[in-house]
Amino acid sequence: MKILVCVKQVHDTESPLEIDGDRRWVRDDGPIAFRMNRYDEFALEEAVLIREALGDVTVDALSVGPLRFSSTLKKSLEKGAANGIHILYENGGYCPPSLTAALIAGYARDKSYDLILCGVMAEDDMQCQVGPLIAARLGLPCAVSVVKETIGPDKKRITAECELEGGINEIIELPMPCLLTIQSGINRPRYPSLSNVLRAKEQKLVTVPADPGLLTRRPEQPVSLSYPEKSSTGMVISGTPEQKAEQLLAILHEKSLL
Amino acid sequence: MKSILVIIDTIENRPPPSCFELISFAEQFAATFSLEIQVAIAGGSIGETAEKAARFGHDVIGLEHDSLFHPNPEFLARAVAALMEESRPRYVCFQHTMRGCHMAASLSSRENASCITAVESFSVSGDAPVFRRSLFNGKINLDLAPPPDSVVLTVLPGAFAVTDGGSSSKKPGSVEIRRLSGVDSPGRPLGISESAEESVRLEESDVIISAGRGIGAPENLELVRAVARLFPNSAVGASRIVCDQKWIPYAHQVGVTGKTVAPKLYMACGISGAQQHIAGMKGSQLIVAVNTDPRAAIFSISDYIIIEDLKTFLPLLIQKHEELYKQS
Ligand SMILES: Cc1cc2nc3c(=O)[nH]c(=O)nc-3n(C[C@H](O)[C@H](O)[C@H](O)COP(=O)(O)OP(=O)(O)OC[C@H]3O[C@@H](n4cnc5c(N)ncnc54)[C@H](O)[C@@H]3O)c2cc1C
Ligand SMILES: Nc1ncnc2c1ncn2[C@@H]1O[C@H](COP(=O)(O)O)[C@@H](O)[C@H]1O
Repeated sequence: MKILVCVKQVHDTESPLEIDGDRRWVRDDGPIAFRMNRYDEFALEEAVLIREALGDVTVDALSVGPLRFSSTLKKSLEKGAANGIHILYENGGYCPPSLTAALIAGYARDKSYDLILCGVMAEDDMQCQVGPLIAARLGLPCAVSVVKETIGPDKKRITAECELEGGINEIIELPMPCLLTIQSGINRPRYPSLSNVLRAKEQKLVTVPADPGLLTRRPEQPVSLSYPEKSSTGMVISGTPEQKAEQLLAILHEKSLL
Repeated sequence: MKSILVIIDTIENRPPPSCFELISFAEQFAATFSLEIQVAIAGGSIGETAEKAARFGHDVIGLEHDSLFHPNPEFLARAVAALMEESRPRYVCFQHTMRGCHMAASLSSRENASCITAVESFSVSGDAPVFRRSLFNGKINLDLAPPPDSVVLTVLPGAFAVTDGGSSSKKPGSVEIRRLSGVDSPGRPLGISESAEESVRLEESDVIISAGRGIGAPENLELVRAVARLFPNSAVGASRIVCDQKWIPYAHQVGVTGKTVAPKLYMACGISGAQQHIAGMKGSQLIVAVNTDPRAAIFSISDYIIIEDLKTFLPLLIQKHEELYKQS
């Protein structure tokens, strides 16, 4: 069995996020840390768990993005992927999800993957589309927001539990090959093992050039980025930490909450 | 005249919460860009919901099929594509849920249209729309201009309030129910499972003190619990990340995929304010947030803003409370 996991590198949200000079994207220079999209960590872990359960499984990790994304692919190798595939795309701005999906689908089309896993969402652009777009391009059945999956004994079907809202799940059976988008909490992503860290150090990534011509129509265009307006209603409590604590207690007392 | 098509799906024939907000969005959008509004509701048997939607004053088409009794995004995307053949709407909109995004993505791929998800507001540039959506859990806004052909949208729940839902001032639209034919999609819904409710009575608490990833380690949950104990009828809530880490059971989770709460006081400790979290607590009467990041999105809906490390602030809060109240 062959599994493809799509992993994206995102700005660490604890880093200071700043809009770049021409308001086209978020700066990626300066004191910025990058990491793997959390939802993709869950997707990768799920693939590795499937390999551990079934044995004869290859897990490939794939990423579309600039050179710096290679560190996230290396991280995927450390976490147990067998191969890292880098579709090198240096555009340094808004990347339409339709293009990302076209590039991934273009790569995967003739590779006969039995299962493609994505995260439910990328933490930076929060599109929640790339998974289903890849599935649509490849004509694969797709289930989104999966919190549990079981591969049938014949390895031809998969039963997925998909999260709806308010604590309700829907159970869906899909024929394989198919694509799932993985929701957080499905497993507990592991730390890299020493042997995988050593292997990742040696191993080369497969680099593939991006062909933006795969997109057959003009995508949506970014107009500008901005910071949300500060709330007009909220009151910032100021002072030393002690004063802040006292003020808050006074306010809560006045409102009869204490 | 160009039109906007609103798609509402149902779960076991019940409309999902706040789905009629989509009609409000469409009304505001249609008024700005002189569009006609069409509404389609999908499910196993949805006459009742369709009548309810028609009270907004627009004609409603009901799309019925046994395999739409449970959410079936791929089947519904196909049915919507067929509907688009008839009226060629310029815009099609879904609710921004995961299956809404699934449908929107499938449909846009099928129709070679662009797809803009999680729309929070729109503006006008020339005579064309610009859609605003968030990046990085609400820290940055992105404005997107669609190309001048058909566009599929998902609209963020909570962004457009229902104005006069079914008020008698409007003449109800017509309802046309269509029984769909056609084969099922390869993905087969087997049923719905409701998670076994644990005995955490978040909804009935007057005060909820909630922990986010900013608590850093499970030990610090004890601080949050200690603050909760300062209040009568209080409970501990959590963001999804805290539950995913298994630091606390999912029954404590607040948000779209957890509980919706509206206590007298909601205190968010180390929670960034992702839209999925805010959706579950923005109705609280008083919101206090403690966060080290002055630009945290949670502050934009907070009544009181405390920019502090919770690991220093919460112990001080407990200590000052003790000092103030120990005599009484
Ligand atoms: C389909 C879907 C459904 C979802 N449903 C839900 C849901 O129901 N509920 C939910 O909560 N989330 C949900 N999420 C996840 C959501 O998008 C966010 O990822 C999550 O809410 C973030 O949790 P957080 O605020 O605890 O963590 P983070 O976003 O990581 O924020 C941590 C915050 O803590 C602050 N901080 C760090 N250290 C300290 C300190 N020492 N003192 C004070 N502050 C500190 C940081 O500045 C930051 O703002 C869902 C996501 C998806 C895709
Ligand atoms: N540039 C990318 N490279 C690889 N995978 C991606 C990329 N962008 C998105 N994905 C995948 O698609 C999922 C959803 O992303 P999005 O639709 O952007 O929210 C992510 O969790 C990844 O699995």
